[in-house]
Amino acid sequence: MSGGRSVAGESAARRASEGRLGWLFDSKLVTVALASVAVVVAGGLVQVSFGAYSMTVGEAWRAVLDPAVLLDPRWLLNFLVGEGLMRSITGFQGELPELAHGTLIVWNIRLPRVLVAAVVGMNLGVSGAIFQAVTRNELASPFILGVSSGAGLMILLTLVVFGGLSAFLPLIAALGGAVAFLIVYVIAWKNGTSPVRLVLAGVIVGTIFNSLQTGLFFFADDIGVVQSAIQWTTGSLTGTDWEQVRMALPWTIVAMVLSLAGSRQLNLLLLGEQTAKSLGMSIEKVRFALSGVAVLAAAASIAVAGIVSFVGLIVPHMVRNLVGSDYKRVIVGCLFVGPALMVAADVGARLGMGVLTGADSQIPVGIVTGLIGGPYFLYLMRKQQSMGDL
Amino acid sequence: MSTERANATETDEPGGTNEAIGAGGADDGGDASDLDGEDLVLGYPNAPEPVIDGESLAAEPGAVTALVGPNGSGKSTLLKGLANQISPDGGSVLVDGQDVHSMDTKALARKLGLLSQESTSPSSISVDELVYHGRYPHRGFFEQTTEEDARAVEQAIELAGCGHLRDREVGSLSGGQKQLAWIAMVLAQDTDVLLLDEPTTFLDLHHQMEVMEIIETLRDESDVTVVVVLHDIEQAARLADRMVALKDGEIRACGAPEAIVTEELLADVFRIDAEVVDTERGPQVTPIRARHEDTE
Repeated sequence: MSGGRSVAGESAARRASEGRLGWLFDSKLVTVALASVAVVVAGGLVQVSFGAYSMTVGEAWRAVLDPAVLLDPRWLLNFLVGEGLMRSITGFQGELPELAHGTLIVWNIRLPRVLVAAVVGMNLGVSGAIFQAVTRNELASPFILGVSSGAGLMILLTLVVFGGLSAFLPLIAALGGAVAFLIVYVIAWKNGTSPVRLVLAGVIVGTIFNSLQTGLFFFADDIGVVQSAIQWTTGSLTGTDWEQVRMALPWTIVAMVLSLAGSRQLNLLLLGEQTAKSLGMSIEKVRFALSGVAVLAAAASIAVAGIVSFVGLIVPHMVRNLVGSDYKRVIVGCLFVGPALMVAADVGARLGMGVLTGADSQIPVGIVTGLIGGPYFLYLMRKQQSMGDL
Repeated sequence: MSTERANATETDEPGGTNEAIGAGGADDGGDASDLDGEDLVLGYPNAPEPVIDGESLAAEPGAVTALVGPNGSGKSTLLKGLANQISPDGGSVLVDGQDVHSMDTKALARKLGLLSQESTSPSSISVDELVYHGRYPHRGFFEQTTEEDARAVEQAIELAGCGHLRDREVGSLSGGQKQLAWIAMVLAQDTDVLLLDEPTTFLDLHHQMEVMEIIETLRDESDVTVVVVLHDIEQAARLADRMVALKDGEIRACGAPEAIVTEELLADVFRIDAEVVDTERGPQVTPIRARHEDTE
């Protein structure tokens, strides 16, 4: 990371004169962001072009950029906020103008899935980055503090026992994650918490909840229920729609703004509890608040995609390796790299089986992220001298 | 009981600059800040017995107070107690008459800085960025760095003598250079009271002298009240205006260095036979042998 020095040097000289956002124009960060955007665009184009109704890339482009949608605020609002809200905003009561067949498929089915993937990747990356700083452990992820097991348990409970509530599944899953995190926090609390206690409590609570989950599978009498449960607990984007975009986007924006605002606190947490405390930080409050932001981000992604593994673990790693450990840059980096990884993985999840076996079936994206993420993480472990402490 | 004992030693204490002891309040004139620990009972959650059981200590405003004592004598614990890192089970710590425990954490951090014994940081952070973290208590939640922050950082870096390191990554520095960077950070905090926990331990001689010179500069040219834990009794004697000797969690003696660094005290507190010669650079201690007899 020899380049980091010169960057820091420039920033030192610039610091007095540069404005609020000067640090954004760090050459590495800009490169990472542009490369990630390129991956998202490429992956997105593949996603909108291929499928049961195949188009050429040119046709796909034209469908994405179809002025009938892009220049019609009614259509855009229809997608982004839903038909009801669109009508009350615009006061428009008639039929929406008809769209070309390709445009309809791209905008109704394929594009929202890409957007959901991007939003999920963003949330998981940032959530992981926050959890890693809060626990000062680079093995932490959104799901190590009990979030995933809590969400998974609630998903199974809903599907198997309280079938009537399955309409609220996303909310229930997110709630389960948040509650499990609170349980972990309470268990870890003893005159304050420590990173190690948090991680240990998270692992233990996770184990118990996972046992309960496995137990619940035996009560499922319908193979469809089991499949649906597996989709949720491995993380899948199959069948995601604008409704998922609308559900996740507001929370995502809130979580991203809060995490950017909290990045300086995260930087200070990295200096260790003692130093942060002696610099006047109310450690427990900050740690709890930031964890809350991270749970919110994780919950937003669980609500639409289930539990997608490894993204929250490896995205912050990749970003740190690329832009250094300044958390302002790490968070911004995660905003770009997370979507890139997730969109690319979803290409594999949606089309991979078709390419490999010719079968027209999809696999949960969580399996692909696990298959990419696991080996990448092993590679990191082999390459880096020390692993664990941040 | 041990409180009585502490008081007893305080009366035994030979001459010296004990006017400041127990003076409290802000009536000492000047801008220098007071730091008083009163009847402090300090311990750790998992230990049955407190490490410090009812001791009082007043740092002399604007001067350097050195805490010395053998391993496990409680000097670091006492310092952490003074810095509000451990909340006391009894007694209180006052900065300029205000109880540190009831102060807003940032307000306290603008008054009182602490350099801990071991400090960790991400290795890819630059020295400059590290020093800027020292300005944390002076900044609001959304505030950017101001001219004043920049000035404080410049001064701190200059005083700590690590200007040539400012663009280096902390992870690439030697132990001594790291310590200078951390000192710069705590100096940038710009506090009236500065607590340093063994700032010279594990450093080579050159960097030990660098650190000593920084503290000397603070003593001679500023109003900062410094309390420093030192392992090396000669260093402490050279640096401090007042010394406090601890053993087994009790303050055994406090006073001017010449009064503290004596052969009797070394025998009592450090359990060594030593020869003490007064030189123009303060007392020189030549340890001769460890004492094995149980003096209890």
